[in-house]
Formats: sequence, structure tokens, C-alpha cells
Amino acid sequence: MNAPMPNLVAKPERLRLVGQKRKLLAMMHQRLMLVLILFAGAILLVAGRIGWLAAFGDSSSERAGVGAFVPARGDIIDREGEALARTIDAWSIAVQPPKVIGNKLDLARKLAEIMPDRDEGQYYELLSSDRNFIYLSRRASPRLVERVNALGEPGIQLMREPDRLYPQTALAAHVIGYTDVDGNGVAGAERAFDEWLTDPSRRAEPVQLSISSRIQQALKAELAHAMEKYSAIGAAGVIMDIHTGEILAMTSLPQLNPNVAGEGSADARFNRASLGVYELGSTFKPFTVAMAMDEGIVKSFSQMYPCPKKLTIGKRTIGDTHPFGRACSVAEIMQESSNVGTAQIALQLGAKRQEEYLRKMGFLDRLGHELPERGRTLYPRDWSEIATATVGYGHGIAVTPLHLATGYATLLNGGLYRKPTILKVGPGHPAAKGERVFSEDTSYKMRALLRMVVTHGTGRKAEAKGYRVGGKTGTAEKLVNGRYSRQLVVNSFAGVFPMDEPRYVAVVMLDEPKGTKETFGFRTAGWNVAPVVSGTISRIAPMLGVRPDESREPELDSVLPYLYENKD
Amino acid sequence: MKSFADKARYGRADRSMMGRWFWEVDKVLLLMIAMLIGIGLIAVAAASPAGARRLSGGAVKVPELYFFYRQIAWITLSIPIMLFISMMNRDMARRLSLVGAGVAFVALLLVPFIGSETNGAQRWIDLGISRFQPSEFLKPFYVVALAWLFSLKDKGLPTGLISAAMFGAVAVLLMAQPDFGSTIIFGAVWAGMFALAGANMRLLGAMGVAALVGIILAYFFYDVAQTRIDAFLFGEGDNFQTQNAMRTLTAGGLFGMGPGAGRFKFTLPEPHTDYIFSVIGEEFGLIACLVIALLYLGIMARVLVRLLDEEDPFAILAASGLAMMFGLQAFINMAVNVQIAPSKGMTLPFISYGGSSMLALSIMIGLLLAFTRANPYLNRSPYVVKWSGS
Repeated sequence: MNAPMPNLVAKPERLRLVGQKRKLLAMMHQRLMLVLILFAGAILLVAGRIGWLAAFGDSSSERAGVGAFVPARGDIIDREGEALARTIDAWSIAVQPPKVIGNKLDLARKLAEIMPDRDEGQYYELLSSDRNFIYLSRRASPRLVERVNALGEPGIQLMREPDRLYPQTALAAHVIGYTDVDGNGVAGAERAFDEWLTDPSRRAEPVQLSISSRIQQALKAELAHAMEKYSAIGAAGVIMDIHTGEILAMTSLPQLNPNVAGEGSADARFNRASLGVYELGSTFKPFTVAMAMDEGIVKSFSQMYPCPKKLTIGKRTIGDTHPFGRACSVAEIMQESSNVGTAQIALQLGAKRQEEYLRKMGFLDRLGHELPERGRTLYPRDWSEIATATVGYGHGIAVTPLHLATGYATLLNGGLYRKPTILKVGPGHPAAKGERVFSEDTSYKMRALLRMVVTHGTGRKAEAKGYRVGGKTGTAEKLVNGRYSRQLVVNSFAGVFPMDEPRYVAVVMLDEPKGTKETFGFRTAGWNVAPVVSGTISRIAPMLGVRPDESREPELDSVLPYLYENKD
Repeated sequence: MKSFADKARYGRADRSMMGRWFWEVDKVLLLMIAMLIGIGLIAVAAASPAGARRLSGGAVKVPELYFFYRQIAWITLSIPIMLFISMMNRDMARRLSLVGAGVAFVALLLVPFIGSETNGAQRWIDLGISRFQPSEFLKPFYVVALAWLFSLKDKGLPTGLISAAMFGAVAVLLMAQPDFGSTIIFGAVWAGMFALAGANMRLLGAMGVAALVGIILAYFFYDVAQTRIDAFLFGEGDNFQTQNAMRTLTAGGLFGMGPGAGRFKFTLPEPHTDYIFSVIGEEFGLIACLVIALLYLGIMARVLVRLLDEEDPFAILAASGLAMMFGLQAFINMAVNVQIAPSKGMTLPFISYGGSSMLALSIMIGLLLAFTRANPYLNRSPYVVKWSGS
């Protein structure tokens, strides 16, 4: 009834074939649908994957550690998490001269109006050159980009490119460093941690420095103020945690803005604090005393030395700013910063032991911190008698201010030398294991001596009320053409606070300060750098959690009785 | 019967080739193919600057829309060919295919001797104006030839063995180039057609196992296959390109960055051919990608469902084989782009740029249209009286 009726005269053979054909067709149709189902499944797979990508985004990049929020170059942050260096999408403006459609003269005039760093003629020259691509402005402000875009010139390309931004501008510029145009770190932490910052698997995690922006800012402000007041050519400062070796602040003036590092002068790019080496003078004296105490040469601060007005060693004669011309105690030698007295202690110690101590304190090598700017220290090639004497009071040896800070940390943290570090000490970066240089006893005794220098000696102006500052001044004449200049000095102050339980060291240095009316023409450290320390400590101690407490003082009985002027 | 008579007045009596074609051709299929070609043109326009910039450099400067204009030229050449072939009746189409298969096979044989090499594979024959890839042209003719072979089954021929030999010969030549992707396509289509022609399911299962073994062997003996499969499975080696492709595909989100606004497309190695699907993703969004995937499914469904009304085994095999070849190629390309399959050099039919592939695809679709042509009033329904008097 349904299919056409088979012809009754058909042969059985043919009937069989028709039946087979029906069966074959039925099977084919069935399998056609199977093919369709398979294909629909395949397309569904693709569609599902598209849906997955729409919902969860790019999974392949996660595999490589590159997510949407991972910058092309990692961030650098300070110890409190404040951003010091970030990567942003900046705008750049370029022109493709062959593609310019509009009137070139007209366009040049408009460009000169919007971007006045070139004049109309220069723009016209650029536009008519046969170069294919010329940058007009890199890291352009969005407003500028908007105005250029409004020109509607298809030959002008507005592009986004990753760029490094230093949101704190010049703050800690020497520590952070900067990158070149291609984004490679060329100085400071940018260079030191270049690999980390660009490693796809690590760059999501920022590099956390030990620097604190707030402390850095206080140090920089105080130093800049002093540098201007005393017309110094440069200044440097370091604040360090004496127990961990963390550099909390390190500044070098003049500064540069790493956002436009190319505009900074060579002088501004130079890191005086960690690369520059200076003869830091009297700030070395406490080391000599500590070495002698450790070796049992100086048994107490009451020990007396003959202190003539002049002391002749070999062919050289040593003198003092405030000559004693009498016998004086070790306490007095420190109080008045006597070269003659210190030289005698150094001579007792001898060249060999002095060199040994200096080596253990890291003064004879480049410091082992992470920054690439590590100054090579200068010291006597043949450690003669006179060299021993002068090194004893900080001449004939040139170190970086960072060396000096490390030395004071070693002196007062119980006697352990630790490499300074620019990375925040934490679970991922434990503090270095200290190597013993001085005995704990010596270290403890030095507290009183250094506190006395501030309360009764040359460092009076370094006192910050309630914060128990201790330290030592240093005024060193600069070598000019191989001779010590009377006019050009490097002043430094190494301060430690709170002296009853030392925690932080603050080293400041002024390069070539001049005398002023206020200092009565004096250029000595007690007059110009000591106040910087006072000002800085007053500002940073509260941030560091040090409470001002005038009732707390280190035990001064070991020193005060032996000061002549104090005997009344 | 009245309405039927009415229709007849609007040209049904026109027995010219054109007239008959117009009534018989699958217009829905034709429309979907036209849509695909249209989408392809837009996509090539979007991908062309990226492809051109990749080729430019130094003294050579390729115009931004170079590939777009060339694609237009190829389309204006290909569409008439497609329409012409689709007007052929089945006998003519079969004869064309058998001759074509012979010619393309000989060309494929010649590739090792006169072929030109690109990217470490020798697949092309340079004809001066353009290079053509014999394997592309072999595809449609091979399918029709296989269909014809399978339809001869009731004449007592060992069709399975002969077809296996045909595939084997082609596979050896392809692997010599080497062209792993095409080998898989030829093999899969052969297996599919073999299944449709009534192969024993157990035999098919055995073939599936053999294919798996073949792929594993290819993994061990072909460096290209090995590096690509390694890169896909373990994410090792140089997967920079696939990462870029993924970033490009997803950069546009659901709705795309807008035509011409793509940025990641410039990082792609073959933006206008293999990775055009990713370019579409970036500029027109993932929804556009989904629409394209569904369009391919629509074409497959249209062809396969309509074949249920077809009673000629040869036509069923030919049409479904052509559709499988077309659909499989589209699926593999999309699967590579969305990274559910390792990368292979395979184009997206009618969307990717490519002169010789456009021409070959037009022949393929022309044949498909020819084999799916049917009198719209003629179907298997027992409630309709057969119209043809035979």
C-alpha cells in the first residue's frame, strides 16, 4: 500500500535486491544521523570551550603565570607596602609621515601649539621626512593625547606601551634606581632585582624593600635643609636597624627623579651613600677604642694617656682642634675628639690587629648588600706606623657612609657584624647570621661612651629630647690635589638611639659644607651635621615606635667621673 | 494539484540547466555558504593588516589590505566555478570528480619533485601566479571517487580493500610532505564513508584502534607531530604562539574590541589563515565565534538531514562525505584555536584567506550542491505521488 507494489512478474532475484537496497538505505540513514550527532557533539565541545573562555578568560596565560593583573615588570614596594615603582600603561604619540593626509604645514603648526617642545619648523621637517615612524612624545599625559587625537590626523599614531612609574618621584631614587627605555633595570634595586622583576613566575609578587617611605622622607628633608643652609655640594644619609642590618632609609643628595632619569646630571645619579667613599674622620675613633678594649689594652674609660699639643710620629705631626697639653682619660679623648689620644691607642693596638678588626667589620671590602652600587673602600697599602695612627682616627681610610652605619651597628648590637640588606627582613628573607667582632661587654660599654659625646662632648647638638641619642662627630678635611684642604671638609655624624637599648643607627654626611653666621663660621660636624641627626631622630623615632623618655639613660657612671670639666 | 499547476507556470517548465538548477538547488544551504563567505571576507579584512605587517619589513612593504583584495579576487573567480559545478547533473559531477581525482593525485605525486617548500613542509606546486596545493584539490574529488567506489559494492567488488588502498596511497604521499593534519582528515572521511557504506562495526572499531596506534607512531616518528603534541599536552616547549592565539581569542570578551581595533592579532604567526578564528574572537567577540561554529553545524545538519530523503547510495555517500570533509576541517581549525587540540596547519573553510583553498572549497561545495540537488516536491513520503514518470 505504501511502497510501490512490486511488479508481479519480477524475478525473485530482483526482489531480493530491492529488499537489500531498502535495508542498506535504512542503515545509511541511521548512520547519517550518527555522523550528525557526532559532529553536533564536536561543535558543542567547541561552543562549550568558547563559553568557558567567556566565563573564565584566558587559561593558557595562567599556566605561564601571566594573568590579567600581573604587570610586565614587577612592582617595588617599601616595607609598609607603599608603591615605589610600578608598571603602567602609558601613552605614546608617534607620527608616520607617509600616512599623513592633511596639510603638513597646518599640522606642524597645530602640533607646535599642542606640544611646544619643538617649533613649527621642526615639526614640518619631521612630517616631511621620509622616515616611516617617529615618536613625537612618549609617556604623554592623557590630556595631551586627547588633544592630539582631536586633530583627527590618521598619520598620527596613539599607542599604549608599558612604562615604569615612580609614584614617589625622587624619594629613595638611588635605592630604587631606574630602567632604561627598553625596561631593563640599570641602577639600584631595579637592576639588582631585574631577574626577579621580569621573571614571569615571580613578578606577580612585588619586591619589598627594607626602605620605609616615611623615614626616608624625614631623613631626606632634614638633609636637604642642611645641605642648602650650609651650601654643601652633596649630602648622604643612612638609617639602619642595627639588629637585622635592614636599611630603613638611604638618601643621597642631590637627587634625581627616576621618572626622567635621563635628565638627571651625573652627580645626581651618583649614590653618595653606598658608592661614594670618603675619609670620614673622627667617627672612626669609637672603633679604635672598642678594638683596644676588646684586646684588653684599654681597661676602662678612666685609663690615662699623655696628650701633648703635638704628637710626632715618624715624619708626620698630629694635632688637635682642642689641644689638651696634659694627660687625659679615654673618656676625655672621646669627649673632645682628640686625634693625639686616639693615635696613641691605635699605636698600642698595632697595625696587624687594627687591620684584622677592620676586615671583620667589612671596612676593607665592598659591602655585601644587594644594590649594584657598592663602593670599593680605600685603605693604606702598607700599614705603617703612621698609617695605623691616622686610620685610628679615620684618616687614610675611605669608606662609604653605608660602611660607617654598618660599623656602628656592629659596635652597638652586641658586637655582631651583619651584611646590610635592602630587602625587608621577614619569613622569606631572614636576617643574616651575625659574625662576632667585639665582645658583648665591649659593645655594652660603648653605649655610655657614645652617649657621653652627645651629653657632654662635641655632639651636643645631636641630642633629640627624650630619645637618648649617642654618637660621634667627624670632620675630615678633603684631599685636594694630594693635600688635605683646610677649606673643604666632609662632615659626618654617626648616631645611635635609644642609647639605653640601641636599635637604630643614623649616619649623616655633608660634603663640603660652608660656615655660616649661625655656626660662627665653624665648619665642624658638631655645628652642621649634628643638628640634622637631632632633627631626623625627633621625626623618625615616633614612627619607629621609640617612646621619648627622659628618665631612661644608659649607665654613665663609667664615663662621667673621668671628664675633667665635669669634675666640679 | 492545483497549486502544483500554478507553480509550474512560474518557470517549472523551464528545462534549461539554469532553470532546473534554480528549482532544485538547496537554497538554504546556498544561503548558509554565502553567509560563511561574507563572514570570511570581513574576517580576512580584519586579519589582513596583521598578516601583511608580519610579511612586511625592510624593503618589502605589503599593503595592509593586500590579503583582503586578493581574497576578493579569488572569490570572484571561485563563486562562478562553484555555481557552475553545482549545475552539473550527477553523472557529469561524477565524471568530473574521477578525472579530477586522477589529475590531483598525479599532482600530489609530483609534489616531492617539483614542489616548493614553506615552513619545513613541501606541499605546494608553484604555478607562477599562485601556488596550489594538490592535496586541497584532491579532497573533493577523492570523496566523490570513494563514494562511487562504495556504490559499486553490489557489483561484487572488494570495495573496502580498494578504498583502503586509495587512502593508503594518499596517506603515504601526504606524510612524505609531511602533512599530518590532512592525513587525519582524509583518513577520518574515508572511515566515515566506509561506515556509511555499510562497514561492519567491529571492523570500524579495529580501524579506530589502528588510527590511535598510527597517531602514537606519528608522535614517535614525526618531529613536528611530537613537538606539537608535547606542547599541547604538557605545555612545554615553545608554546609562545598558542599563548598569543589564546590571548587574541579572549582579548575581545563577548562582544569584541570592534573591527580594526584588535591589538593582539599582530602577535599571531598566521593571523589570516590558521588563526583567523582568534582574530574574529578579538575583534568581533566570542559570540561571533559561537555563531560561526553554529553555522558550520547548521550546514552539516542541513546536508545530513536532507540526505534522509535521498535514495541513491552514491549521492548519499558523496554528499555526506563532502560535508564531513568540510565540517571536520572546520572543527579541527576551531578546536586548535580554542585549544582543545594541538596546533596543525589547517584553514577554516571559506573564512581563512587562501587562493587555492578557496578554489578547492568552491569545487567541494559545488559538488555538494550538485549532489544535494533535489526536486523540492519529490520526497519519499508515501503520501505524495511520485512525480517523475520513471
